[in-house]
Order: sequence, then C-alpha cells, then structure tokens
Amino acid sequence: MSITILVTVALGILSGIFIFPETMADSMGFWISFGLALLLFFVGIDIGSHRGILGKIRRIGFKVFLVPLMVALGSILGTTLAGILMGMSPVESAAVGAGFGWYSLSAIELSKHSAYLGTLAFVTNISREIIALVSIPFIAKYIGKLEAIAPAGATAMDTVLPVISRSTNAHIAIISFITGVVLSSMVPVLVPLIMLFS
Amino acid sequence: MNILLYIVIMIFGAFLGNRKLIPKVLMKKIDTIQFLCLLLLLFIMGVSIGLDEEVIQSFGTIGVQGIIFALSSIVFSIIGVRLIASKVLLKGGEER
Repeated sequence: MSITILVTVALGILSGIFIFPETMADSMGFWISFGLALLLFFVGIDIGSHRGILGKIRRIGFKVFLVPLMVALGSILGTTLAGILMGMSPVESAAVGAGFGWYSLSAIELSKHSAYLGTLAFVTNISREIIALVSIPFIAKYIGKLEAIAPAGATAMDTVLPVISRSTNAHIAIISFITGVVLSSMVPVLVPLIMLFS
Repeated sequence: MNILLYIVIMIFGAFLGNRKLIPKVLMKKIDTIQFLCLLLLLFIMGVSIGLDEEVIQSFGTIGVQGIIFALSSIVFSIIGVRLIASKVLLKGGEER
C-alpha cells in the first residue's frame, strides 16, 4: 500500500513536469476538489455501514478532543525544537509547525512575512502529508491505531483519511475526521497568532 | 467553503451506507474503490506539484530543512497521542 502510494505520487509529479502542459495548472484546484469529494463519499459510505459507531464516539465524549490537542502540541514542539537545533528563530519554526500539514493555507499566511518562510511552510507541510500517507500503514501496525492519526495533522479529515480508514477501522476513522476538522480550524487562527510574537 | 461541501458529501455517503442503500456487490468492493479513488487523487496532487516550477525549485533549496521539520512534528505528534491513547480508546481493546 505504501509503495503504491509513493509510486503514484511520484508518477504524478513526473507527468506534471514532463507530460502535462503548463496551461493545466489553473484547473488543478478543481480536479483536486473533485477527487477529494469522490473519495470522501466512499469513506462516508464505509463509516455509515458500520452501525453503532456514533454511539461509541458519544461514549468517549469530550476526551476525543485530546487527540487534536496532543497532535497540535506535538507538531509545534517538534518544529520548534528542530528549528532551535538548526539555528532558526523558535517563533518562526513554531508557526511553520502550526500549519499541521495544511500546506496551502500555512504557506499563504507565512509568505506575508517573508517568501522564505512561506516556502519553508509549504515544503514542510507538503512533506508532512506525503510522509503521513506512506508511514501511516506501518504506524497503525507497529505503534498503534490511534497513533496512526498523528502524522496526518489537519489532513486527517480529507486526503489522508482514506489511508487511516484502510489501515485502522471505522471507529478510528471518525476520530481521525474529528481531529482533522479541529486542527484545520486551528490553522488560520494559530499561525498568525504565533507570528505576533516574532 | 470546500470543507462544508466535503462534510455534506461524507454525511450523504454515511446516510446511504447506514440505510443499506448501496448494492451489496458494490459494498463488497468498497475498499478497492476507495483505494482507487485515493490513487487517482494522489496522482492529480502529484501532477499539480509537478506543474508548479517554483515548488520544484524550492524543494531543491530548502527541501532538507522542510523534511526535518515534517519528521520532527510527526514524531512528537505520535508521542503526544501515545500519551493519551489509553484515555481515548474504550476499554475492551477491540479498537487496538
């Protein structure tokens, strides 16, 4: 599964560079939304066909929000420590980490401060998404199913959700979706907020 | 705005799945269909990365830094979730 995913992304990148005409770049946003909508429709069917899941989630209660909270803290702590080790500003590093894998938004937000920071946010968060796609099947198998949500960050509700749902179960998939929604709504608030301290 | 559309589509799918409105033949293959849709999406995402020359160039200059950042956030996120996993998952352990 991981290798198929990696090969598909690589094939896409290569055909983007060598085969498809540059005029297609404008319509890519539409096609990504289309692919995502199709995918989420099938993920929805999968979740819906497992009866009794919503009851289970309700029994977990507000504790379910511990997952996005810990992912948020871990992501920000991770880039801050890495940034300090690489001699970068801790605040700027923290802001890049607060993108939680949502590369388009964090990059746009941070490029307001500098092109370099915007590009770093883009590269960091797109790498996070690709590493998440490839590593999640292994994390689910060897570390834990709930932990498999962690690498995805904000993308736990869309692009990475099918991989999580395939590697774990419908129960974890719902927690994943909730995690993704919470983290996604935090990105537009947290990134500018952290940059206030720079 | 897209997020709202995605939620609606997913709830619609969940409704169909819950009411068993999807033919059994299709339900049996739902995993495969999901995976094929995912590959299609990843291919499209790859193409959009490949079409953007600026992105390709920026990977060359600050790629290593970005990958270290990404790995570090992932590792600490996993540790964070691990700390609370027993609180969130229900007893009985069928989810693990």
